[in-house]
Amino acid sequence: MPRQTRNDHMAQKADRPDIADLLPTMAALAWLPQAALLAVAIAAVAKGAALVEIAGFAALAAILGILRALISSASERASFLGAREAVTGLRNAAVLALASRSPLDATRTASGEAASMIAEQAESITPWLARFGPTRIKAVVIPLAIFLTILPLSWAAALVLLIALPVIPVFMALIGWRAQAASKAQLVEVGAMNAFLLDRLRGLATIRGLGAVDRVAERVDEEAQSLRVRTMAVLRIAFMTSAVLELFAALGVAMVAVYVGFHLLGDLDFGAWGGKLGLAQGMFILLLAPAFFEPMRELSAIWHDKAAGQAAHENLLRLAQEGHRLPEAGQASAPVPADRPAIGPSVVVRGLTFDHTGPDRLFPDGLGFTVSHGEHVALLGPSGAGKTTILSLIAGLAMPKAGRIEVFGQELRPETVLHLRARMAWIGQNPHIFAGSLAANVTLGRSGIDDDTIARALAALRLDHVARARGSAPIGEGGAGLSGGEALRLALARIAVTPQAELILADEPTAHLDPVTAGEITDALLRLAQGRTLIVATHDPRLAVRMDRSIRLAPLAGRAAA
Amino acid sequence: MKRVLNDFRPFLGLFCASTGRKLLGGAALAALTGLMGMALLGLSGWFITATALAGLVPATAWAFDVFMPSAAIRLFALGRTAARYGERLVTHDATLGLLAALRGRLFRGWSAPGAARALAMRPARLLFRLTADVDALDTVYLRVLVPLGTTLVATLAAGIALAFISPALGVAVFAVLMLTGTFVAGITARSATPATLRRAARIETLRARVIDLASGQTDLLMAGRIPAQRAALAEVDARLAADDHRLNRIEARAGLAHGLLAAVLPALVLVAAAAIAAGGHIGAPGVALALLITMAATEPFAALRRGALDFARARLAARRTGPALLCAAFPVGAEPAPGLAAELHHVTLRHDAALAPILRDLSLSVREGEHIALIGPSGVGKTSVIQCLAGDLPPTAGSVRVTATARLTQRTELFRDGLRENLRLGAPMASDAQMMAVLAQAGLESIIHALPSGLDTELGDGGQGLSGGQARRLALARLMLRDVPLWLLDEPTEGLDGETARDVLARLRHAAGNRATITATHIRREAEDADRLLILGDGGIKASHIRGSPGFEAALNDLRPD
Repeated sequence: MPRQTRNDHMAQKADRPDIADLLPTMAALAWLPQAALLAVAIAAVAKGAALVEIAGFAALAAILGILRALISSASERASFLGAREAVTGLRNAAVLALASRSPLDATRTASGEAASMIAEQAESITPWLARFGPTRIKAVVIPLAIFLTILPLSWAAALVLLIALPVIPVFMALIGWRAQAASKAQLVEVGAMNAFLLDRLRGLATIRGLGAVDRVAERVDEEAQSLRVRTMAVLRIAFMTSAVLELFAALGVAMVAVYVGFHLLGDLDFGAWGGKLGLAQGMFILLLAPAFFEPMRELSAIWHDKAAGQAAHENLLRLAQEGHRLPEAGQASAPVPADRPAIGPSVVVRGLTFDHTGPDRLFPDGLGFTVSHGEHVALLGPSGAGKTTILSLIAGLAMPKAGRIEVFGQELRPETVLHLRARMAWIGQNPHIFAGSLAANVTLGRSGIDDDTIARALAALRLDHVARARGSAPIGEGGAGLSGGEALRLALARIAVTPQAELILADEPTAHLDPVTAGEITDALLRLAQGRTLIVATHDPRLAVRMDRSIRLAPLAGRAAA
Repeated sequence: MKRVLNDFRPFLGLFCASTGRKLLGGAALAALTGLMGMALLGLSGWFITATALAGLVPATAWAFDVFMPSAAIRLFALGRTAARYGERLVTHDATLGLLAALRGRLFRGWSAPGAARALAMRPARLLFRLTADVDALDTVYLRVLVPLGTTLVATLAAGIALAFISPALGVAVFAVLMLTGTFVAGITARSATPATLRRAARIETLRARVIDLASGQTDLLMAGRIPAQRAALAEVDARLAADDHRLNRIEARAGLAHGLLAAVLPALVLVAAAAIAAGGHIGAPGVALALLITMAATEPFAALRRGALDFARARLAARRTGPALLCAAFPVGAEPAPGLAAELHHVTLRHDAALAPILRDLSLSVREGEHIALIGPSGVGKTSVIQCLAGDLPPTAGSVRVTATARLTQRTELFRDGLRENLRLGAPMASDAQMMAVLAQAGLESIIHALPSGLDTELGDGGQGLSGGQARRLALARLMLRDVPLWLLDEPTEGLDGETARDVLARLRHAAGNRATITATHIRREAEDADRLLILGDGGIKASHIRGSPGFEAALNDLRPD
């Protein structure tokens, strides 16, 4: 599957170097000739050379420096482009997985969590993918190149660096091992602090209602202060890592400088393969010494990017893994069978069992019923009896394990599901209100619905006053500002603008409503369902009694009695 | 500039008030680290050149004072490490302290009536924004102020050191560094602003669309809009990617500018110093010192660009959190006339200035100890009256006088905390015995006894771990602990089965004793024991029925039986 290989590619992006990853190393290598030119220039000054000669060396050094800056900047762009593209790929894969997971899958990631993973967490992947690979290559190549450059000049200076460098990873590993565990715990704690604050803010009405604002504010202060103390304990260890690195880098440079100085004075006349270093060589070695440690420092600076980026990457890959998928998922494109006239029964269910949602089969004996064209039927039963599951199966949101469902005379199969679903409409007990205007919530972006149709639908469902008050302004997130009854009327308006929907499936539309509103919703639903087939899952006797007949589901007996 | 300062004023005020001294100390240590690094490099360059020249002649070599410079080099090496470690500890401690203060202050700010209601309208988006804003403010100190200070100090130090060689050179280098640095940082911050602000909004859009996809999947599936929703998500990501590209280009350009400065300026200084050396004012060691100090002085600029890039986001965060930070104490409401628990005079309530009022010209007196039930279809304003009496919804006209109240919100709001802490929210001094007593009154005693940790049991987010009925009873127990003259109950037994609900209501009535209660309800059982039924409708009180009057029974009969 192409998507899979793409993910693999992205997972290995940080491990496999390409040209863009090598550019920063090349830029850093250009420092060697640049440093040599500067050292030679200083030596020329000491010899009292002509200013033109010195200026020539300086100009060449400047040109090399300019080249370095250009390469660095180009490489920064190139690695960013690759990394950002990978993030788009990861996001799309996660979105595809979310979109093709069956709504009946109980293991679905909660919507808020999925939003956090796809939106803000994914942000931390780009810097990690863009910087980690190139920096790691640099950390391997540059110290080696500098060591090999200094070695022919002075084995003693090279030895000082050689001793200082391996000590760093060893110490870093020792301290970092402890620090990593601690910083993981730390990430969890910061998350917990944010969760604590959000939890309290969500319940602000209660906190105010109980006069507890000051008390809770003190708790927030206390929690945040204690977080600070615990975080500092972690950071003290984490900073030790970089302190060790700094110490050896600084001592390495200092020892090289002191050795070269004493050597030039003639006090330490070993270390240069029997010869004596000149000022140019000495200055060259000094200029290279800090660059020897630089990549290691960079690597340790982006360690944090790595932790956050990797965690986000794993989360997105997990999200993109497949759970229970929709029947049509993976179908190339929906073949459109010839339209059949809607004659005979609308829905036929035979021998239905389904064990998707729990360990037990909901209908051990198999469930069967028939709904005629234009008939209005109530599915009655206590909660947990499987009413919602049956409606979902008829809508083709999952396939039954055994049994057969026919809709409009055609069997529901992965190939037919899209075509058949286009002739159905759904109304749930808590309709989701989308981010957008009232009109956009009616059309859901479907084409061919003009403003007049929307206005008529809104008026018919007595939402015109809301439309007037809100205009084209977005309605509140999750429908805040709309009452439960208004949210349901809005869902009904979505059906009102789709006359092609011949079968309406309604899942407990009047639950959570007061009797007056429930009655209004029932009336509106029945008006909409005139001339269409309607199946209502409910435990509201007032709604059931308005249907042509009821099908009663027993909790476990699993028999349908017409 | 003035506007920028105005935006940051509330934040900076908090900054100075909380851990100002630590924050300054951290910045000073950061600057010291930079200075030591610069001194280490400069002195090493001087030392090597000087020793090379002295080494040429045995007599001068013998007389050369090696002790002072080599000791200073070692001192700077160790000092830089120590200063760096100290800097990191102090700056992070200070930042965390600042964030702690920020969270506490923000919580107080958000608990102001208007802010609390705005939060209730669109909680998820606002809460996300709040966390993102706190994170963005985190960067102000570490990424903007500290690098700014370090750069300034390093530039100044380089200028002064070079001024000893030649005042003109010192001034020139200082001016070039300052001008280039300010210019690049300024251009970066300015050109990054539009894309940064767009990004902040687009991340929120991406979140909203993922939530729409995950929560509204069934609606989208049935409307055949899943492919469109995926396309919409891909489009948001594409726009985000475009912003990311723009920002990366700006960042790379700033990097290039610094790279060019670091390539050209040291070369120019080298030539200038060589010319001065030709005049005999300084020797070759002075030239080496000038070169290395200039090289070191260009380094801190690299740290500035990240801060410049993030500046617009931080400013947005400062602007958005400012009002909450500045929030003053809430006004204390007036007490009602003797013998009354609450008085409303010609009160108008609206949720949004743009919308029509929910209730207008509402007048109501509640006697001490009176039990009132507010009834009427959903959306009629029952909860608004409760919110008004609780001080969450200030009237736009008329006056409200109310005694101390305790409110039970419609949605059960429990917190991620211990059971004991949850109970004590409204009564900080309550003893374990008192708590067990109210738990018994709420019918939870046996359940608490069955819990292995009893009152120490930890509840999850929003009271996770309890069933809906248990959570409701716990919320009631919490209310019962609050000894105030008026209880405001919003659908107190919603979600409980009939038998349990009656039991809980009986206990609640007993616990209320002489307290007045106002209950918003559409269920008969919650209204039948009231002294007075107020029927809300058409923006006011439609009817009022005293217990025993014929209208009272008729009104009860219209309510939902169970």
